[in-house]
Amino acid sequence: MAATQRFPQYKYVDAVRWLPLQSPFNRFAVVALFDFDTESSSIQIHSFNPNPLSFDPQFSWPSPSRISSLKTSHFLHNSLIVASTSSGSLHFLFADPSDATLRSALSLPDSALHSLPASSLDLMDAAVDCVTAGEDGRVNLVNVGDSNLSYRRLFDSGGLVSYTAVRWASPMEFATGGYGFSLQWWDQRKPGGPVSQFKGDRDKKLTSGIVHSIDIHPSRKHTCLAGGSLGTVFAWDLRWQQQPIILSGAGAGAGAGNAAVQSISESEVWEVQYDRCIKSNTSSTRILPSMICSEDGILGVIEQGEEPIELLAEPCAINSFDIDRHNPSDVICSLEWEAILFLFYS
Amino acid sequence: MASNAEGNGALVPFSGDSSAVYPLHHGLAPPISRLSISWSHGNTLRLSLFAGAAAKVVEVKVNGEDSEIPDAQWRRIAYGSVAPFALLQSQRSSISSLLKTPSPYHSDWWEHVLQYSKEIGSLLAGSKMHSSPIIEDPKVLVKTDEKPTCLQAAWELIEIFYVDKQSQTWLPERLVDWLADYDSLFTSTHETIHGKLVDFQKELGNIQVIEDDPRYWDLLSSALSVGWLDVVVRMLRLHGSYQQDQLSTRELENGLVEAVAVLISKMPRFCPGSAGKLGDCYKSKPEFIKAWEKWRSQITKLDRSPFWIQCDNQHTREGLRNLLQITLGNTESLCMATCYWIELYISHFLYIRPFTMGIESMYNLAEKCIQLKPRSSTHRLTGLMIGILEENTEVVLAECSREFGPWLVAHAVELLTAGSEQSEIILHEERYNLGGISIVELHRLAYAQILSSHALTWQIAPIYLTSCMKQGMGLLENLLYRQSVQHNDGLLKNIEICRLYELDHISSNIMKIAGVYHWKHGHKGTGVFWLQQAQDTICLDRIAQQLFDSVGKSISDESFKQWEGMIELLGSESNPAGGLEFLHKYRDFKKSLKKVSGGKSTDAARQAVGSLILLMKNPSTPQRFWLPLLHDSLKLLNWQDCPLLSVSETNLLLNKLQELSLAKLCPHYIEPSLPPNALSSIRLALATNLGRAILDE
Repeated sequence: MAATQRFPQYKYVDAVRWLPLQSPFNRFAVVALFDFDTESSSIQIHSFNPNPLSFDPQFSWPSPSRISSLKTSHFLHNSLIVASTSSGSLHFLFADPSDATLRSALSLPDSALHSLPASSLDLMDAAVDCVTAGEDGRVNLVNVGDSNLSYRRLFDSGGLVSYTAVRWASPMEFATGGYGFSLQWWDQRKPGGPVSQFKGDRDKKLTSGIVHSIDIHPSRKHTCLAGGSLGTVFAWDLRWQQQPIILSGAGAGAGAGNAAVQSISESEVWEVQYDRCIKSNTSSTRILPSMICSEDGILGVIEQGEEPIELLAEPCAINSFDIDRHNPSDVICSLEWEAILFLFYS
Repeated sequence: MASNAEGNGALVPFSGDSSAVYPLHHGLAPPISRLSISWSHGNTLRLSLFAGAAAKVVEVKVNGEDSEIPDAQWRRIAYGSVAPFALLQSQRSSISSLLKTPSPYHSDWWEHVLQYSKEIGSLLAGSKMHSSPIIEDPKVLVKTDEKPTCLQAAWELIEIFYVDKQSQTWLPERLVDWLADYDSLFTSTHETIHGKLVDFQKELGNIQVIEDDPRYWDLLSSALSVGWLDVVVRMLRLHGSYQQDQLSTRELENGLVEAVAVLISKMPRFCPGSAGKLGDCYKSKPEFIKAWEKWRSQITKLDRSPFWIQCDNQHTREGLRNLLQITLGNTESLCMATCYWIELYISHFLYIRPFTMGIESMYNLAEKCIQLKPRSSTHRLTGLMIGILEENTEVVLAECSREFGPWLVAHAVELLTAGSEQSEIILHEERYNLGGISIVELHRLAYAQILSSHALTWQIAPIYLTSCMKQGMGLLENLLYRQSVQHNDGLLKNIEICRLYELDHISSNIMKIAGVYHWKHGHKGTGVFWLQQAQDTICLDRIAQQLFDSVGKSISDESFKQWEGMIELLGSESNPAGGLEFLHKYRDFKKSLKKVSGGKSTDAARQAVGSLILLMKNPSTPQRFWLPLLHDSLKLLNWQDCPLLSVSETNLLLNKLQELSLAKLCPHYIEPSLPPNALSSIRLALATNLGRAILDE
């Protein structure tokens, strides 16, 4: 059973994230908004109260340009919000975890990190280590100093390879995704290129598309879960690099071993996250259940060997979502039609 | 850009009915020699001004005329109406195909339309504030926090007359409810009962003896005349005789007030009952008539009661008896009590003709009311109402379009055709003067154009365009081509729409455009990806040809890396172009050759020779590269330590040279650009190698 509640924003929602919780009484979500009428962007912190239900803006930070990627974390006694923008700048916002007021902000200027509008970033859990990867083919590691940000360029493909998603796997390793359902595995101790890579092709039962999102479960750091075009969700296990496990996708179903795969969607899977709500047998060799959102308005749960579960079927695209890690049955989603939707399921 | 200061060289727009001059600051010295105007995104006009050698581009935001509903709210309505509209269209087509007739009127089609209408209606009502206090303040006569919109009122009016067949019997009562909800809207152009009540409510705290205030009695009769029974009863209970200290001295007066209040709260009404509404509701006509006559007789009895003489408060006596006159349908009292013709019209339905009559006599009654209450100014809802009563579908559409804009017309057309086959024919017939499209299609196209012009709504325009038989698909293709390919998200959303409507040729063209865009901007990986997705073999071959150009030339490490990356990119194509196999082998050869250069490792050199022989043996290696390949390998052929090529291998290469000298005689032979002595040095190297190899063997 699931209950939903929507809140029109009257502005385009570029991204949504829960702010990791410091106390069970104050819950906050971060929303990146773009106002087409005034052409202004902002990052807003909203306080969230489930009973009686309310979702009110507490604080707004004007962003110089549109947000292309947004992540939240907590570090020491700060709530941390990190955003990359379409002009290539990067912003770290440190907020008070109890009332979400902004304590300080650090920035890297336009075009410092990336020359192209779209870039993706990830923050390490309970740390300030940030990795960014962009369509311009650059991979950067960002460090937080006392009063400034600095970065190190780990790689630059010179536009030959574009990266559309990035995710930490361990303090030293991370994964990126890109065109042609490609995945790259990096080790920051080994600059000069990825240490392993995967490229989807017909032999691997993957028709061509773009990876939009990656997730790596802390308990299974060798497996990279990726979601992308044509409803495709697949897992790439570093130990069996040439045999991706296809969990959903329009191109799926033809190969041996993937015969029983059903597709949850036929369009772009914009985000994929391991579902922290379903308790699965962690000793099992099966891929852990995951949640996806898609361009055709689906929010659903995929589990290997099971029929996919559709939690939402909206008339418009669900562009991003985030599972509250402290209340894993609460999901926040951004809808194409200028609205935010909450899903509470059990 | 807003500009309001007087400036020199101001632009004067076309003067129509409501001419307005908007001065515009452009900073150019007059005279302006040329002016070009085009639409930019959304409601923005782009003006390009030329004055002598200087030029300037200015963007002017044109504000929407409807200030009642802000742009963001309009978008919310646009989003919300997509699903009901799409559902209705699919129901229409499934019913039509089931019945094998183009018009769906043989079934209970109106029920589908009613469901559609209700959904749109609740969308227009928006999210009602659910936090209204439960404890009611007795001094609150009318609620002022809820502000309905004219759009909502117009939609409901159309629904009442055209769609809701079930409540057609209770049409008068639905109109009473309609006015109760929307009377406040008319306050902008007329004096209204609602407006007077709001004013009175504000002063309520300052009035000492309410029944001595003539406005109290005027408003009581006004509220009663339009059937706002709850307001009347609440106001009556404010009467001074209810106060504890006065109850004993004014017992009789209070009895009369209470009697009137009770009678009014029991007024029979011909409608299905609804919660929170005063009056006794009757669904069947005979029962209603019986109750109505009984109620009237009770009023007449009270009116003739001897107690009135004993009531010494003149205000109370006259005020209450006037209320009774209204309930008895006294035309003069009704006319006095109401402010403008619609209020008078509604009071007629309540107290003079409580039953539905033909629409023609409803129109006559409206005309009579307009005569009694001449219009000083017209409200946009009155025009619509008269159009409906005139039974003129085209006038109704014109009013909707003129006063409420394309959204209402595009969506209300469904309501107008719900119950009448005749208006269905009028609205759906193809018209020569509209270029062969129907009125319905014309309005849908107009609405789709509005949606298309905004970055946030263009994605829903296809739903309306695909419901247009004649011009829709053409405009849809146009719309899809027009979208920017720069950003991935937008591009992918665009391609998704192509997929939904099976427009494969468009999506492959869009991917080609995206591929070329990215290629031109140096995003080679992205460019090649999209060209491959579009299966644009022409572009891909051309890119591959560029790679061939580097064959046999010395290139820097950095550009070799780029070149190698490009081969990798092109190679990921599942069906590689013919020459790619060669390029892959050539890359391997070049790589091993690079290892050799500088170093003296014979093993590496042997590997390079292996690659060279593979290349030269392979039939896919183009003949024009033979000489450059051999020229590249001079170092291998002249290897110091030992001959690297066996006798048979050297013979193979010599044979190739022989073939080349024959090929030179062909007219299409292209001479490779190599140093003039290249051929002779290759010959010499091969000959030397052959000699050494023979000795070795």
